Amino acid sequence: MKDTLRKLCEAYGPSGNEGQVRDLIRSEIEGLADSVRVDALGNLIAVKGSGGHRVMLAAHMDEIGVIITHIDENGFLRFAPVGGVWTLGLSGRRVAFADGTIGAIGLEKLDDRDRVPAMAKFYIDIGASKKDEVHLKVGDMAVMTRPFVTNGGRWIGKAMDNRAGCAVLIETMRRLKAPKHEVAFVFTTQEEVGLRGATTSAFGLDPEIAVAVDVTGTGDTPKAAPMAVSLGEGAAIKVRDGGMLAHLGVKDLLVQRAEENGIAYQLEVLEGGTTDGRAIQTSRAGVPTGVVSVPTRYIHSPSEMIDERDAEACASLLVVLLENDITL
Amino acid sequence: MTTAEFLKTITEAHGVSGYEHNVRDIVVQEFSALCDEVRVDPMGSVWGVKRGTVGGRRIMLAGHMDEIGLIVKKLDKHVIRFTQVGGFDVRVLPGQPVWVHGRQSMPGVIGMRPPHVMPAAERDKVIPMEDLFIDVGLTAEELAQQIRVGDTITLRRGYVELKNGLVASKAMDDRAAVASLLECLQVLQGLKHNWDVYAVATVQEEVGLRGAMTSAYGVAPDAAIAVDVTFARTPELPETGTVEADKGPGIARGPNLHPVMYDRLVETAKRYEMPYQPEPVPGASGTDAWAIQVSRQGVPTALLGLPLRYMHTPVETLSLRDVERCGRLMAYFIADLDDTILDSFRPALPEGE
Repeated sequence: MKDTLRKLCEAYGPSGNEGQVRDLIRSEIEGLADSVRVDALGNLIAVKGSGGHRVMLAAHMDEIGVIITHIDENGFLRFAPVGGVWTLGLSGRRVAFADGTIGAIGLEKLDDRDRVPAMAKFYIDIGASKKDEVHLKVGDMAVMTRPFVTNGGRWIGKAMDNRAGCAVLIETMRRLKAPKHEVAFVFTTQEEVGLRGATTSAFGLDPEIAVAVDVTGTGDTPKAAPMAVSLGEGAAIKVRDGGMLAHLGVKDLLVQRAEENGIAYQLEVLEGGTTDGRAIQTSRAGVPTGVVSVPTRYIHSPSEMIDERDAEACASLLVVLLENDITL
Repeated sequence: MTTAEFLKTITEAHGVSGYEHNVRDIVVQEFSALCDEVRVDPMGSVWGVKRGTVGGRRIMLAGHMDEIGLIVKKLDKHVIRFTQVGGFDVRVLPGQPVWVHGRQSMPGVIGMRPPHVMPAAERDKVIPMEDLFIDVGLTAEELAQQIRVGDTITLRRGYVELKNGLVASKAMDDRAAVASLLECLQVLQGLKHNWDVYAVATVQEEVGLRGAMTSAYGVAPDAAIAVDVTFARTPELPETGTVEADKGPGIARGPNLHPVMYDRLVETAKRYEMPYQPEPVPGASGTDAWAIQVSRQGVPTALLGLPLRYMHTPVETLSLRDVERCGRLMAYFIADLDDTILDSFRPALPEGE
C-alpha cells in the first residue's frame, strides 16, 4: 500500500481537476475490476462481483488547493481557496500547478504580526518579473506540494485526505478474492467543495448499502480537542460527524465484523467536518450508509500523518464486510 | 391509545436523531391500527399509508420523531464527556438528570464544578459543554465495560400536566406533531377521502431534515403538509414572529409554502370553525417542509405550527388541544381534497400561449 499511496499523495488533483489522480488509479486497478467507467462528473467507478446487495464504496480523489483569481502587472498571482484551506501556515509554502510549475507563497508586510492575516494578504510568486512572463491563467489551480515520507509505520504527506482512502479502496480491491456482492468502488470528485461527486454517483448507482472511506481527526496530540481516536489504534468506525449520523445497522455490522476477525478498530465521534457518506445517505429514498475512517493528524495541512496499521485495518475490515453476508 | 396517551408515551420514549428505533416501534404499532399499510424506509422513517377511495394521488403528512440529545465523545476516568446531536441550549444542561443508553440504559447526572470552588471570573459565565460531564456512579473500570463512544444520552424528564390543558415534557419538538398525525388518522376513520394519505414520522430532522428529504423522494407526493412546533408567545418574546398557545395551530405563509395549500387550509379552518393563526415565514422554515418542497420536481407544501413554549429545553410546553386541532384540520382538509387542486397549483398561462 505504501508505494501506491506515495504515488497518489504526490499526484496533482484539486477539486474539479482530478484527471491526473484518476489516470493513476486506473492504472493501479488494471485487471482488478469486472468493469470500469467514468461518469459525467468525473467519478471513476469500478465494479467487481455480482449477486448479494449492490454496495457502494466511496473515497474522494480530490484535494484542497488554491485557484488564481488575479495576475498583477509584476507577475504575482492572487488566489482564493478551493476547499478548506487554513491561512495559518500558508506563508512560505510551495504550490504546484497542473503543468508542474512551482510557486512560493509570499505574504505582504503585516501591521500586526500576532494576528493570522486574511487570505487576501498572500500571493503566489512563480519567479516572473512581469505579467507577460506568466504562462498561467486566472482559474488555474494549484495544490500544496510536499514529498511523501515515512518514519517507520508513520506516513506523512500532503493529500492524505483522501488519497489514504483511495489507497484503502485499491488495497481492498487487490485483496478481495470472492465478493458476495456487486461492489462499486467509486473514486469520487469534488468532495472538498461539497460532496458533489458522491451526490451524483450515488444517484446513478442507486446502491442498497454504502460505506464511505475518508480520513478523520484524532485527539492524541498536545492540547487537542477531546476525541477518543488515536493514531495506530485501528480503523475508525464512524458513529457521527458534523454532517451525518452513521446508519446504526451498518455501524454495528462493521463493529461485529471487526470483532469476529480480530481487526483493530475504534469508534469515532467527530464534531466538525463530514464525508461523502453524508451525501450518499440521503440519495433518492435514502441509503443505509456507514463510514470507515483513517485516523489522521494535521488534516488539511501539507503534513497529514497516518499510521500504516490503521490503513491496513481499514482495508481488512472492508474485505471481510464484502466477503460475508450483509443483513442490516 | 388516545392522542393524549400517545403523546405522553412517545415524549417519554427515547430517540435521539439517528437512534429513533424505540419511538419508531410505538409509532408503527399505533399507526398500524389506523392504516392499510405501515412501512419503514431505508433511513428509518415510518410511513402510515391510508388508502383513499379513488387513490393514485398522494398527500404526505410529516412530523419528525427524533429529538435533540447528547452523545458520548470520550470516557474520562469515571465520567463521560459528551457532545450534542442537534442543538440544546448549553445553559440548561448543568444539573440535569439523564439516561445514558449504554449496554443497558442507566440513569446519570450532568455534573460540573461546584460554585464554591469556581473562580469568581467563571461564576457568571455559561459553562462550556467541554467542561460538563456525566456521572453514572460507576468506577472508571466499570464505566469502560458499560459505556462506549457513540452511545446516546437523553434527558430524564417526564410528561407533566399543567393547568388549562397545557402539558410539558422533553421532546414535544416534534413528537407532538407525530401525535397530531395520529389524531388526523383517527379522525379520517370516520371521513371519506379520495387521495391516499401517507402519514410519515420522519427521522433526523434535527440534524438537517434528512429523513424528510429521503421519505419525500420515496413517497413522491402530489402535495404535502409538514407539522412542526413554532414559538409560542411568552412575556419576554416579541408579538411579531410568535403565536399564542391554545389558540389553534399556526398556518405558515411564505416562499417555503405553496399559496394554494395555505389558502385551502385557511378555508378549511373557517368552514369548520376551527381556530388557527396565520404565521408569516419569510425564508427557510427550518422544518421538514423545506426539504419536502424541493423533492424531485417540487411538491406544493404547507406547514402547520404547534405553538410551543421553551423550545429546545427539557420543559417544552404546549396545549394538548392545539395538537388535536392540528390533526382535525389536516383530516378535514384531506377529506375535501380532489384532483381540482392540481390545476390550481399551476397558474394557467395567458390565452394563446
